[in-house]
Amino acid sequence: MDAPAIATQNLTRRFGELVAVQDVNLSVAPGQFFGFLGPNGAGKSTTIKMLTGLLAASSGRIQVLGLDLAKNSVEVKRQIGVVPEGMALFGRLTGAEYLNFVGRMYGLDRETAGKRTAELLDFMQLAEQPKTLVTDYSRGMQKKLALAAAVIHGPRILFLDEPFEGVDAIASGTLKAMLQRMIGRGATIFLTSHVLEIVERLCSHLAIIHKGRLVAQGSLEELRAGVEAQAAAALVDAPAASASGEKLTLEEIFLRIVGGTRRSDQELSWLG
Amino acid sequence: MAGLSFSPGMRGQFAAIARVRWQLFVNGVRTIRGRLEVVARGLMFLGFAAAGLAGSITLGALAWLFVSRGRLSWLAVLLWFVFLFWQLFPVMATAFGETVDSSSLLRYPLSFPSYFLVRLVYGALEPSTFLGSFWLLGLAVGIGIADSRYFLWAAIVLLAFAIFNILLARMIFVWVERWLAQRRTREILGVVFFIFIICFQFIGPLMSRIGRNGPPEVSRIGTQVLPYERALPPGLAAAAISRAVQGSFAPALAAFALECVYALAVLWLLSVRLREQYHGENLGEAVARNTAPKEKSAIRFGWNVSGISGPVAAILEKEFHYLSRSGPMLFTFVMPVVILLIFRLGPQTSGKQGNFLAHASDLAFPIGAAYALLILTNLLYNCFGADAVGMQLFFVSPVSFREILLGKNLAHALVLACEIVAVWIAVCFMFHPPTADVTFATVAGVAFALLLNLTAGNLLSIYTPKKIDYGALGKQRASTTTVFASLGIQAAVFGLAAVTLLVARAFGRVWIAAVVFLILAGLTSIGYVLVLNRADRIALDRRDAILAELCRA
Repeated sequence: MDAPAIATQNLTRRFGELVAVQDVNLSVAPGQFFGFLGPNGAGKSTTIKMLTGLLAASSGRIQVLGLDLAKNSVEVKRQIGVVPEGMALFGRLTGAEYLNFVGRMYGLDRETAGKRTAELLDFMQLAEQPKTLVTDYSRGMQKKLALAAAVIHGPRILFLDEPFEGVDAIASGTLKAMLQRMIGRGATIFLTSHVLEIVERLCSHLAIIHKGRLVAQGSLEELRAGVEAQAAAALVDAPAASASGEKLTLEEIFLRIVGGTRRSDQELSWLG
Repeated sequence: MAGLSFSPGMRGQFAAIARVRWQLFVNGVRTIRGRLEVVARGLMFLGFAAAGLAGSITLGALAWLFVSRGRLSWLAVLLWFVFLFWQLFPVMATAFGETVDSSSLLRYPLSFPSYFLVRLVYGALEPSTFLGSFWLLGLAVGIGIADSRYFLWAAIVLLAFAIFNILLARMIFVWVERWLAQRRTREILGVVFFIFIICFQFIGPLMSRIGRNGPPEVSRIGTQVLPYERALPPGLAAAAISRAVQGSFAPALAAFALECVYALAVLWLLSVRLREQYHGENLGEAVARNTAPKEKSAIRFGWNVSGISGPVAAILEKEFHYLSRSGPMLFTFVMPVVILLIFRLGPQTSGKQGNFLAHASDLAFPIGAAYALLILTNLLYNCFGADAVGMQLFFVSPVSFREILLGKNLAHALVLACEIVAVWIAVCFMFHPPTADVTFATVAGVAFALLLNLTAGNLLSIYTPKKIDYGALGKQRASTTTVFASLGIQAAVFGLAAVTLLVARAFGRVWIAAVVFLILAGLTSIGYVLVLNRADRIALDRRDAILAELCRA
């Protein structure tokens, strides 16, 4: 069996008194489209920042492609692509200049960087405004450019933090097409997103983090089976969807795992 | 403003805004950096307080002198001084940096009068208002001591003048803010601003040139200017006071009324702009959709710089793109030559009347070169500031901070080299070609100063970065800690260099200075390499703080 593409052991991050991520043990196999979910403030972004070197871990170990991130950070960074929360764009460059720049930062020679830049701009439909500065791009264009920059060096693993946030359906379609193409070629994708429908459609495997702890990990089917088994064991009525023979959606699985509950009508009674 | 009243709801909103400002301040001092900023601001406040007190006493004494000796027309000079300071200081010093982002208040149910007052009151909380008001108070007291009968009238006139100044400063701010809201207009305004600054530098030399033509020339220009001066608010305020002191009450009242009309006109212009904001004007800069038929992208290659690695060449190229797209930066770069021109236009006679370079023209090249280095201070000491969220890329890419800093340092050193060449050529044309020993000593001195500045700049860029925008006019200062540290280092470096050069020059052995500078440069280069080699470790240790500052919205 291949070594995991991403593996963490007791990964922990503290911010003063707050433990944002605690003893997280993740394992992502090569070639997986992996969704990393959690409610707001659960520790998703903190985890992805640690996995990509944007944040130091307080304790624990991170292995990427079998390499220890702390000891081989340069070698690891050479093989991964990242679209961080802020997108890491340089606003006062044009799209082509930015992609060329990123390509060369990842060690591509200028000819290769130039050719890939042109191809990526065409694929992402960003070639129409060659002289427009990145700062003047729309949010969707910036997301597409950030994704193009993350893949220009042909990474083996792609980390995406909320790639579909603020992106319209057309841009989202382009992003998804590119991600599917990468998976088809054997790359591993690790993404966080709040849009559960997209995660359900794209990801083969999932992990759910809640209050800094990993509370579930596995394929969607495994997570579904786990939730149903728990419900049965606890003699709790199975959800309506399950009772009617339909599969639980990811949203239902997610809510059951993180314990999301509906508030009673008595609360916020002043709200109309 | 009709209908302006303090309803209980309005008072609550004002209190809430004041409270949030206080909470922001308290939260800001939780970090060591925040505390350092508070200490630095405290020192600045002491400086402003001293300037306020000294200015108030001086202006009060002058007003007393003019009124008690009957030289009432000179009051206008004092008021023009206050007026120019009040309006120009925010532009020169704070560059339109407002402490309150009051436009974000629009989402709340604020009435227009509330919004207007918030923008006016919180925006006016700046040193120029404090100093200007204090100085006007000094003026009123000075007039009152000279003749107590006119204290009340002077106080009323000066109060109206203060209100006019506050309104005008705010009016200028909100209109400039509107132009700054869009990148293109912001850059155009930046260029206009720097042209204005450059023109401002020529006033002194031109005045001295006019002065040299003798009193008739000065009096002719004065006669031409006076009617306009009297029709403007400082002149009107002065006239309102002086005419009252002379016993001509009707002209005094008329001047005061005209002063009030100016204030009302400014108030109207201010309210026009704020009303637009209040109604949610759209200043979006969305890119127009290109309807031209789609073509394949042309392949464009990055720079090929032999002798340096790909990432360093990429950073070098990126830095040049950034600098070349910044109007304010480009205008900053021409300043050394402009400064030399200003010296050249000054009186060329030697002795006390002449300017410094008139009797020490061999120092023109060192002075121009020193100024060229000085204007790079902001770049050298906050070299990641303009990268903003792009800084994330440096942390996720497989490039060491050693290489990143090398690329940036190389870019800045090349800019300085171009500047030095431009200064040398300018000195040849404006004064005379610098001698070989002066040229060599200057280049050696610049090498030493540059290496020391790069060493300290690299450290401070990592320890106290501050997000800046090369294209914007306002809020372009580095962190206060960096400002103080860089000022100290620059003072020490330039002091040492100046003493070395002047001593060597006094002994007629300028080459000795060159040798000293070369030795110092050699020693400094060791420190530079040590810092470069440790840059990766320091940056990684401080990545949380760096990214928190540079990636903030």
